[in-house]
Amino acid sequence: MKTILSAKNVQKVYGTKGNQYKALEDIDFKINEGEFIGIMGPSGAGKSTLLNIFSTIDTPSSGEVIIAGQNIVTMKEEQLSDFRRNNLGFIFQDYNLLDTLTVRENILLPLALSKVSPNVIETRVKEIAETFGIQGILDKYPYQISGGQKQRTAASRAMVTKPSLILADEPTGALDSKSATDLLESLTVLNEQNHSTIMMVTHDAFAASFCKRILFIKDGGIYAEIQKMQLSREEFFQKILNVLASLGGGQ
Amino acid sequence: MTLFSIARKNIRKNFANYSLYIGSMIFSIIIYFTFVSLKYDQSIQETTETSDKISSVFNGASIVLIIFVAVFIWYSNSFFVKKRKKEVGLYSLLGVRKKQIGRMLFYENFIMGLIALVIGIILGLFLSKVFVIILMKVMGFKAIGSLAISSQAIVNTVIVFILITAITSIHGYRLIYRFKLIELFKAEQEGEKEPKSSITTALIAVLLVGIGYWLALQDILMSEVWKKIGFLVTPILILLTVILGTYLLFSTLTVYLLKLLRKNKKHFWNGINLISTSQLLYRIKGNARTLTIIAVLSATTLTAVGAAYSLYYNNRSNAELINPNSMMFIAKNKNVSKQIDEQIWGAKDHKIIYHETVPTFIVDVNISNLHNNNLPDEMEYSIINNKTFNQLAKLQKRNESLSLKGNEAAALEAGYSESFSPKYIGASIPLKVNNKNENITFKKLKKYNVLNTPTAGMTIVISDELFAKFAGKTKVVNMEVYKLSNDENAKVLTKKIENLLPEEADFSSFYSNYAQGLESTGLIIFIAGFLGLVFLAATGSIIYFKQLTEATLDKDRYVILHKIGVNKKEVKRSISKQILFIFALPLIAGISHSIVALTMLSKLMETNLMMPVSICIGVYVCIYIVYYFLTVRNYYKIIIK
Repeated sequence: MKTILSAKNVQKVYGTKGNQYKALEDIDFKINEGEFIGIMGPSGAGKSTLLNIFSTIDTPSSGEVIIAGQNIVTMKEEQLSDFRRNNLGFIFQDYNLLDTLTVRENILLPLALSKVSPNVIETRVKEIAETFGIQGILDKYPYQISGGQKQRTAASRAMVTKPSLILADEPTGALDSKSATDLLESLTVLNEQNHSTIMMVTHDAFAASFCKRILFIKDGGIYAEIQKMQLSREEFFQKILNVLASLGGGQ
Repeated sequence: MTLFSIARKNIRKNFANYSLYIGSMIFSIIIYFTFVSLKYDQSIQETTETSDKISSVFNGASIVLIIFVAVFIWYSNSFFVKKRKKEVGLYSLLGVRKKQIGRMLFYENFIMGLIALVIGIILGLFLSKVFVIILMKVMGFKAIGSLAISSQAIVNTVIVFILITAITSIHGYRLIYRFKLIELFKAEQEGEKEPKSSITTALIAVLLVGIGYWLALQDILMSEVWKKIGFLVTPILILLTVILGTYLLFSTLTVYLLKLLRKNKKHFWNGINLISTSQLLYRIKGNARTLTIIAVLSATTLTAVGAAYSLYYNNRSNAELINPNSMMFIAKNKNVSKQIDEQIWGAKDHKIIYHETVPTFIVDVNISNLHNNNLPDEMEYSIINNKTFNQLAKLQKRNESLSLKGNEAAALEAGYSESFSPKYIGASIPLKVNNKNENITFKKLKKYNVLNTPTAGMTIVISDELFAKFAGKTKVVNMEVYKLSNDENAKVLTKKIENLLPEEADFSSFYSNYAQGLESTGLIIFIAGFLGLVFLAATGSIIYFKQLTEATLDKDRYVILHKIGVNKKEVKRSISKQILFIFALPLIAGISHSIVALTMLSKLMETNLMMPVSICIGVYVCIYIVYYFLTVRNYYKIIIK
């Protein structure tokens, strides 16, 4: 199976000499194509730092990160922008939709930026909107729709370019349980049918139970890793709770 | 810790935030103080003989300035207060009493006002000297830079600005009473909704501006519409329709057009267009009022400066039109004429280009046949013959000659006006000298004169043989005409000759008209230029402030865009496009309005204002471009930070 992301000895150190704080220490792992991987851990464990590095918004102090065959650590600012646009999709906790654009325009924004032709854009938007069940609200503005709809819009925007890797940062954090379940189910469908590769950072054991594999991070290092394998969602959920309990933190 | 010291601390700690506000106050004070200093300046008052006129012009202009400065400070104050709502809300949340917060805001504003006043006056002292020198120069005087500090000007400025500061401080004091706590916290995140537009209002906008333009471009003296509506009401109607039209144009037509653009997928779904167009669509309606104010201010400034500059610019040609000869007088006494000739020959600074003695006779002519009810039946004309005309026309480098036969005649009138002058061509009038009476018929009309109008008045050219017939019947007077080199500097010579000649000689000189014109139009152009510069700086600053506030609001949007992979270059392009639109709209409207107004003016004055107006607009646009780049740069800086 193709490796989408590989991190080798990733370190992130904040502060100056004498007063240093290690946010990440020797992170080493791989994500294969078609995986749905969860990252969990207590507050301050380094989840966000890791996500920011993979998002190319932050750079590691040392180590290397290779996504879709390209080393993002050595890339320049301009290259990184293009890389983000072409290879990564983002889903954020607070949606990050542009309030001046309609749902449709928000979704097609990455395609328009890559100068895809209007006809292609139209069919792609239609496809993705169907997957997330938001065909009916395409011409509405973000302020006119619910939180769940906003997050599905954001997810559509992340998926529309068919990126190599989708990074989701607490995507269910601001949603009620019904909306959260809907979103997670849609993500699962995309993962299974289109083999989209998804990495999700979350606090929530319920959300994490939709993943196929989960990495637990504590104090900047990888603490444990569990696989879903043949377990049912409920059993996997129990397993996650057990690890969290042993982790001595989290929820 | 007293409230006063908290206020003082606030200013010290947040100086960066406050600097924009203090800056605009200092700017206003410098402008006002400089202007008032000019008004009280000794060297200006002494060197001009017409100081009455000067002080009344200055008084009028300073009232305009006060109003303007007050509005400007008010504007930047409310801009500043809006930014601080959250901070004020926080104090309130921490349990500081409303009264205390109000007092604190009052002190703060007052301290800033005082600081700005001191800095403004000190800078103004230097600047006013520079402006005195410029003013003297454009008025044609040698500059004498005296260093006297006008205490009157300082007192005047201090009073005006303490009043303005007191008013804005009270406004700040009342802030906490005007809003609920929750509103203070949400000040910056009020939800924005998509603006609405309709074709009807968009069409009304175009129609209104169209009506205004159409009315303005009518031939005012002939127009039926003007007569019907009334000469006083029509200009007001024009102003109203154009201003209202401009507002609707900005608030609905632009929205409508942007929406059309949005429907065009090929354009809209193409890179950053998606961002800049939708941003504009959201912003334009909230900006419509500001943009209208800026368009109207720009139009007023351009019209006033354009008109004033045309006067200044046309001064030489006007002086030349009425004085084609450098000097001219009626020779009554041979001795005096000889003396003058010697004086002119002896003048070191001037060479004689030509000197002619022109035989003429002056008669009262019955012009009741010439169809103009505004004029009396009899007017005084100087009569010359065909030969003299041809000779002078050639000397004055006009490629024209006359060949009049028998009773044919030609009229010469400098500054001929279609509406006010007699209708010559084709008409016959009786020319009566003593008992000799002949009917002459006008074949030609020249809109210039070969003689100086102040001496000769309006002139009729008749054929050589007719002139000879009359010459026997009346006394022919000789008029002396001189053309000199360097005649715009003939102050000394002009004075000398003036003293030699009696009043009846009707002495006229290019220099006196030229210098007089320079003095009065120089003052007008200076004041118009000064006010124009102030308005220009102010309109530029208003857009600048407004854009920068929006930049802080837009920042989040650009953070999102950055995350999904929009690079810096694209961000910059999007910003440039968006701001270009905001800058270009009022500028184009303003220029278009002012061109219409100046066309109207140029028709009324029957002069060509093309050159001076183009220069004015060119300068205006250049300064605007500088503002544009400044705004783009700082907007970008805020976004990227």
